[in-house]
Amino acid sequence: MKPWPFLALLLLLAVPASAADGIPGDADGDEVLTSGEYASAALAYLAVTYMGGAGELDRTDIQDAAWVYARWDGKPREVTDSSGQTVTLYRPLRRIVTFSGESLETLRSLGFDMDRVVAVDKYSHEKNTFFPECREKANVGSIWSPDMEKVLSVRPDAVFLYATISTAACDDIQRRLEASSPGIRVFRFDCFKPATYVDEIHTIASIVDETERGEEFASFYGSTMAQIQDGTTEIPDDERTRIYFEYWFDYTTVAASAGYNEKTELAGGKNPFAIGTAEYPVVDPEAIIVADPQVVVKLAGQGLTVGGYAGHDPEALDAIRSALVERPGWSRITAVKDGRVHVIHSDILGGAQHFIGTAYLAKWFYPDRFADLDPHTVHQRYLTEFQGIDFDLASEGTFVYP
Amino acid sequence: MIGLPANRLFCLLLLSLFIPAVVCGAPVTRTLSTAEPGAGEVFDISLSIDGIDLGGVVETLPAGYAFTGTEHPDDRVTVRGQSIGFAVMNDTAITYSVTAPASGSGDITGTWEDFLGESDGQVAPSHVAVDGIETAAESAGEKPAAQEAASPVAALAAVAALFIAGWGGRR
Repeated sequence: MKPWPFLALLLLLAVPASAADGIPGDADGDEVLTSGEYASAALAYLAVTYMGGAGELDRTDIQDAAWVYARWDGKPREVTDSSGQTVTLYRPLRRIVTFSGESLETLRSLGFDMDRVVAVDKYSHEKNTFFPECREKANVGSIWSPDMEKVLSVRPDAVFLYATISTAACDDIQRRLEASSPGIRVFRFDCFKPATYVDEIHTIASIVDETERGEEFASFYGSTMAQIQDGTTEIPDDERTRIYFEYWFDYTTVAASAGYNEKTELAGGKNPFAIGTAEYPVVDPEAIIVADPQVVVKLAGQGLTVGGYAGHDPEALDAIRSALVERPGWSRITAVKDGRVHVIHSDILGGAQHFIGTAYLAKWFYPDRFADLDPHTVHQRYLTEFQGIDFDLASEGTFVYP
Repeated sequence: MIGLPANRLFCLLLLSLFIPAVVCGAPVTRTLSTAEPGAGEVFDISLSIDGIDLGGVVETLPAGYAFTGTEHPDDRVTVRGQSIGFAVMNDTAITYSVTAPASGSGDITGTWEDFLGESDGQVAPSHVAVDGIETAAESAGEKPAAQEAASPVAALAAVAALFIAGWGGRR
């Protein structure tokens, strides 16, 4: 097959009817669907569908027109995403592709109809326990290796990408989409940063018209984060708990620019290694002993594949902890002597669930201050009420140890 | 617990299955001022609408019956042949008038759509006959198979179940 007909075919496939600019039924094209215009559109649709009339409006058109008229006051919806770009919607989103598991998870928190997510990134596709509904969805690869042909083949009207991480890869995907299919809306959100997550919840809720649910979820998330911040803000710098946070890999820690460090500091921890430009610097084993952390936190997860949603395996996390405390010279570290060495899974600290992991950190750093904070209950409520998945933390998954 | 004969329990179960189907019907129901109009008489048809904020209803009249008018706003009504389309915009009722022919009988049929709820269905057919006299000419509209089958079957099943339940109880 010659390339140009193939590309033409792709373009035809790539531009769904719903992606075209303009509100369906907006006869004069002034971007306001008036009562009269809507009524005319409804009658035209009825005539075409049931009365042998002729016309172009189909069922999706009139349903979208009704949505815009009823919920958006007949006007387009403008949304500014986390990359600062303003996107105009003329119809509700019906076919979404997500390259970000965090955005996908946030959409589910907001009660978005997951049938309208038509394709997901490969990592979400593989998370059968947490995203069971994604098993049958198309897999569009990762931001570093996107399957653009697959993206276009599912005829999305919106694609979600990251805003501030892997920006080069995400920019490239956005450029390619805009060049081939200008009707596809591209949204950029992170959904893993405490500093911006509440705003992102509200913005995404606005995009999918779940503002009430957005308020509810933002309140739930915000109350946990506020409790942590309220409990730590007034602790003087010299009284903050000295911690050593170890990444998946041995003797690799997190510096100031790493997201895990932000959560550690929010929880009131003081990281003596939060210096330098590297996000995940390798530290001298002797330097850890010299720093004498009061609490040690080890990250399990993607680079240390145990626990999380994938399996109930406390023994594996126990083994990780045992290996830490048995390291040469570590018996002299205060954290080891006091039994304050913990393992946490990145499932609850790195992504949209960072508030759960941060709550565990706060409780480990300041058990007295956070006696009333119950991360386990917060976690279970999140899964049951907001994620809507049947997952019992008492018998499934392993996220922290001890 | 007072014992019930097995056949009575079965009938009560049958009733419990069918009664909701009969009572909890479609969001659009039709009532006629008369089902047996006189020749040339103008009679009213009322549509009761429940739970459709934005949607549409299309009514189809039997051959010979003519749409006469409605109080529904003009810009929300369209007429084509025997069919009348109504745009529903937060309406709970629509009334329209029909002129009966000199003679003739048939079914008034209807279809509804809820655009926001993304659902659709049939309005149960209503039979009309001038002076109550049935004629060979049938409805211009088609009977919706599901409604045609469901309503009489459900009603018959309910009556039969009541009868058997009563009979079983007297044994």
